[in-house]
Amino acid sequence: MRRLAVAAAALLCASAVLAQDAPKGSAERGKKLFVDLNCYSCHGTQGQGGGRNSEPPIPLGYPFAGFVNQMRKPRLDMPAYEEKLVSAQEIADIYAYFSSIKAAPAAKDIPQLKGL
Amino acid sequence: MTKTLKTKTPADESGLDRRSFLKGAAAAGAVTAAMTAATKVAQAAEAKAHKPEGEANQRGDAFIPRPGSDFMLDVIKSLNIDYFASNPASSFRSLHESIVNYGGNKKPEFLTCMHEESSVAIAHGYAKAAGKPMGVLCHGSVGLQHAAMAVYNAWADRVPVMMFAGNGMDANKRRPGVEWTHCVQDPAGLVRDFIKWDDQPASLQHFAESTVRAYKMAMSPPQEPVLITLDIELQEEAVEGKPSIPKLSLSAPPQADELALREAAKMLVAAQNPVIVADRCARSQQGVDALVKLAETLQAPVICTGNRMNMPSSHYLNLSESRPGLIRNADVILMLEVQDPWGILHGMGDPWKDVRRAAKPDVKVIQISLADFMMKSNYQDFQRFCPADLAISGDAQTSLAPLTAAVKREMSSTRAAELAGKADDLKKRNRDMKERVKTAAALGWDASPVSTARLSVELWNAVKNENYCLAVSDRIAWPKRLWHTTKFTNMMGGSGAAGVGYSSPGAVGIALANRDKGILTVTLQPDGDMCYAPGVLWTAAHHKIPLLWVMYNNRGYVQEIMHLQRMAGLHRRDAKTAKVGTMIYEPEVDFAKLAQSFGVWGEGPISDPGKVGPAIERALKVVKGGAPALVDVVCQLR
Repeated sequence: MRRLAVAAAALLCASAVLAQDAPKGSAERGKKLFVDLNCYSCHGTQGQGGGRNSEPPIPLGYPFAGFVNQMRKPRLDMPAYEEKLVSAQEIADIYAYFSSIKAAPAAKDIPQLKGL
Repeated sequence: MTKTLKTKTPADESGLDRRSFLKGAAAAGAVTAAMTAATKVAQAAEAKAHKPEGEANQRGDAFIPRPGSDFMLDVIKSLNIDYFASNPASSFRSLHESIVNYGGNKKPEFLTCMHEESSVAIAHGYAKAAGKPMGVLCHGSVGLQHAAMAVYNAWADRVPVMMFAGNGMDANKRRPGVEWTHCVQDPAGLVRDFIKWDDQPASLQHFAESTVRAYKMAMSPPQEPVLITLDIELQEEAVEGKPSIPKLSLSAPPQADELALREAAKMLVAAQNPVIVADRCARSQQGVDALVKLAETLQAPVICTGNRMNMPSSHYLNLSESRPGLIRNADVILMLEVQDPWGILHGMGDPWKDVRRAAKPDVKVIQISLADFMMKSNYQDFQRFCPADLAISGDAQTSLAPLTAAVKREMSSTRAAELAGKADDLKKRNRDMKERVKTAAALGWDASPVSTARLSVELWNAVKNENYCLAVSDRIAWPKRLWHTTKFTNMMGGSGAAGVGYSSPGAVGIALANRDKGILTVTLQPDGDMCYAPGVLWTAAHHKIPLLWVMYNNRGYVQEIMHLQRMAGLHRRDAKTAKVGTMIYEPEVDFAKLAQSFGVWGEGPISDPGKVGPAIERALKVVKGGAPALVDVVCQLR
């Protein structure tokens, strides 16, 4: 998890400019693709990650270049998604879906988490 | 006037009844006698076969004054076994009848089960919560085959189960057809690789001694299942003579060698960053309390693997969620009944099997375990070999108090003061760890399907003011990360061998043990597991076992989806097909209706996270009233 966080932070810093260069995608198509490709099995429908082991969350604001790189040549145990299976436009759609997700409420603002 | 139904067989007439045959088989003279008798047996059988059918009725007024199964029940009662879980079968019909009539169906009470895997899993869960075994009755061949997976789970989880398998040993007494199909020469052979001991008694005295021995062995750490074969004839024939019941005296658990503990104490006191890893360490609250004392004396953080509730999560030294950093920086690691020591020190990538060292190369490892006493060759649950700097054979729970005493003896006042100074930093680390976990739990909070974190927190809020037990605590990791545990009974771990099908019946067994203790039992129930043998819902309803199932319904065998995705990626093929053969949808299972059909209160399916809490509250009212209930929550996949 720590390695993922470090990698994500590095990508955020290095690719901030590239994030602005993300091609236009359809969040609606991206949401469907996210389910069809079974991305949600590990990452959850909102990129929140999982609770069984350490299925990684996808940080909001993840830069597009890093997003593409992780899909094409993934780190750790994630399978690769080649161009012939997931096109550049489809990646842009998935990225658009992620960019449309609202940030979760802060833990301190969730009544059920108080006292834990 | 009644007479004893001790039908003389041709073998009896020849002086070779079943018992004398078994007793005399080793004697050389018996061989000749048997050969001589063989002719008589054949002739008599031939004559009997041609008798008119009506003659059989002449035995209509014959009775068995005291069947062997009554004595068997006396033996079982002497062991204070409260329940027998079983799917009924003819091979133990006599003992079944003795339990319900001669014994009044009390201590033991017969629990009607719908699958032998459920019977054993109920007994498995019960033993962890009750601290003593339950009996299980199985049909010798087909029943034991059904039970086998659950027996392996209990074996891998180091849990005692008293198994009994009905069987007809004497081929001359078997009715033709199914009775032959269901008899087996060596019933225990099916499960011998993953039970501690078995026997096939040939007399009632033999039964008494072997059953008491089996109980004693099952309860001696390392605790494991045992199996006694119940011969049909031995159950059904009248008691002869005066067999006696041996006194049960349990063995004191093996404590580790004092000198070895002293060496361990020296290493731990001298360590700069000692870490304690506790796996199947505690068997009771006594084990939890002893581990707290050791950890506090050393100011050593504790990592619990989750198979037992070893260390309260509310204690600042429980830093299980900081495992990678703790292991990476440790200079001494004390492993307590750790099943996979190598896996603590290493990781392995998938699929390339690249080994990732998780600890320092020169970390000193101390193991206290009884692993060397329960290994068998065939099944590989003993895990990869891991050298230790100090390997100590002994029961960890029993050895904790003397180890703590040794640590105190080895510790100077200066060192004690140094260690006390670490407490503030460790408390801060604990607070930081919990904040990280809460932040992670908030992600996807309002997602639909419901996030597993939200599900866990909603359930926590419903039980946090109760004396609660989470029966199966390893299917979703959030409760281990978030819930406050203080008691051994708060969380009861998992199946042991990760054999699907344990969670639901295991929870029923735990709830049964908790019923009389006033402990409220809840469980987070995977849908795939529930589909293995859902008849256990009926068992809970019929026997009024108060348990709340909260379905962790992700509509699939999701781990396998991930495996298929990975394979598709490696094979450069389409990952969309990973749902084929792995998802449970089209149609979706309606678990609330399933529960209702078995007589269990049910509500759902619920996909709106805001509706989960109120549904759980409604269900808990039912459970507190003494009945089982189920809430079906459609969840995120992980």
